[in-house]
Amino acid sequence: MTKQREKIDIASVLARIISSRDVVATLKEKINNINADQIDLDFSNVEFISRSAAHELLELKEKFKNDLISPKEIFFDKANSDVVDMLRIVAANKAVPKEKEEVKLKKISIRALML
Amino acid sequence: MTKIVIENPKGESLVAELLILYKTFKNINLEDNVEFDLSELNWIHPFLLLPLIAFSKENKKIKCDCKNSEILKYLQMVKFPEGINSVDDFEIMIAKSKTYIPISVLKKEKGVEREKLETLFSQLVYKSLGSMKGANNAVYYPISELVGNIFEHSRKDTGFIFGQYYPKKEYLDICIVDCGRGLKQAYIDEQKKNFDHGQAIEEVLKGNSTKPDKERGYGVRTSKRVVCEALGGQFVLISGDSALISNKSEQQLVSLPGFNWQGVIIAYRIPKPTGPVDIGQYLE
Repeated sequence: MTKQREKIDIASVLARIISSRDVVATLKEKINNINADQIDLDFSNVEFISRSAAHELLELKEKFKNDLISPKEIFFDKANSDVVDMLRIVAANKAVPKEKEEVKLKKISIRALML
Repeated sequence: MTKIVIENPKGESLVAELLILYKTFKNINLEDNVEFDLSELNWIHPFLLLPLIAFSKENKKIKCDCKNSEILKYLQMVKFPEGINSVDDFEIMIAKSKTYIPISVLKKEKGVEREKLETLFSQLVYKSLGSMKGANNAVYYPISELVGNIFEHSRKDTGFIFGQYYPKKEYLDICIVDCGRGLKQAYIDEQKKNFDHGQAIEEVLKGNSTKPDKERGYGVRTSKRVVCEALGGQFVLISGDSALISNKSEQQLVSLPGFNWQGVIIAYRIPKPTGPVDIGQYLE
């Protein structure tokens, strides 16, 4: 049986700059409603994606891939180098999380700044 | 009614503006009947203006009075006090004036429409700063992460964002505000950890998310690094009675006795980039 393949224009469904995790739910709904098992997410008009939204998108891709009833393969298509870099940074950190560095803070009262 | 005459900052730094914000809101509660008098001010910066707007949305009893015609004109241009909350209104506004960035009021329930409004805001901010290679990412990254946090963590459905580029001084000021539960309460609700406000800020800086997912918690920490290390800017974060002041070389946790912001205020200043900017190394 041939696989059905569909495309979603991300900039028009979401925005040219994708910031928030919650808007990825809109995309999830859209993918759920498409009768295809391969989906190309077309990033050609997307300028930038936040780290949080990239994380949410990668989670979504994984979720659809592992769906037992109706698995779908998601492809990130025509993304600019900034979007690709962000997806790679987040994917790498998902695979091997970096140790978070210690924080050095000097503690003062605001009165010290008034002097 | 309590009348508060807002003073001019002594100097141009974000710290000088923090001191004025502190004096303005010290001993003020959300239930108080307050009149803020802006008449003494020579200018009003995003770091003061946006908290005033957010506060006025929460507390309908407050009044703002101003007799300075320059400031009144500016307030009108940036759509004080209502701000703009739709893409259409934003586009109309920027067609009329390319100099001013309007106060944007972001509503969670608007979803994709909110995302498109935030996009317009970020693009306008980037245009105002110039077109240096990589500066788009440096502008978009902190806005997207810090605004996203409002709708992920604050339990409030409204967020406020505002900015102003000063061409002669060659820097950009951005302010992002919510009147939500704040960082301390987020750690109590999500992790049953009873930090004070200062400790909660410290946890955020360490990258310890209020959410259980270990892959989360990078937003504030990396945004601060982009602002301070990639762009050489200054970064201030306030929650409850504590503030973080950060620049490239040091960071201070400042206690604010008598002050309690219900939610989070973030203000940062970016100097106009003079060379290509690469944020990749700061994203961790």
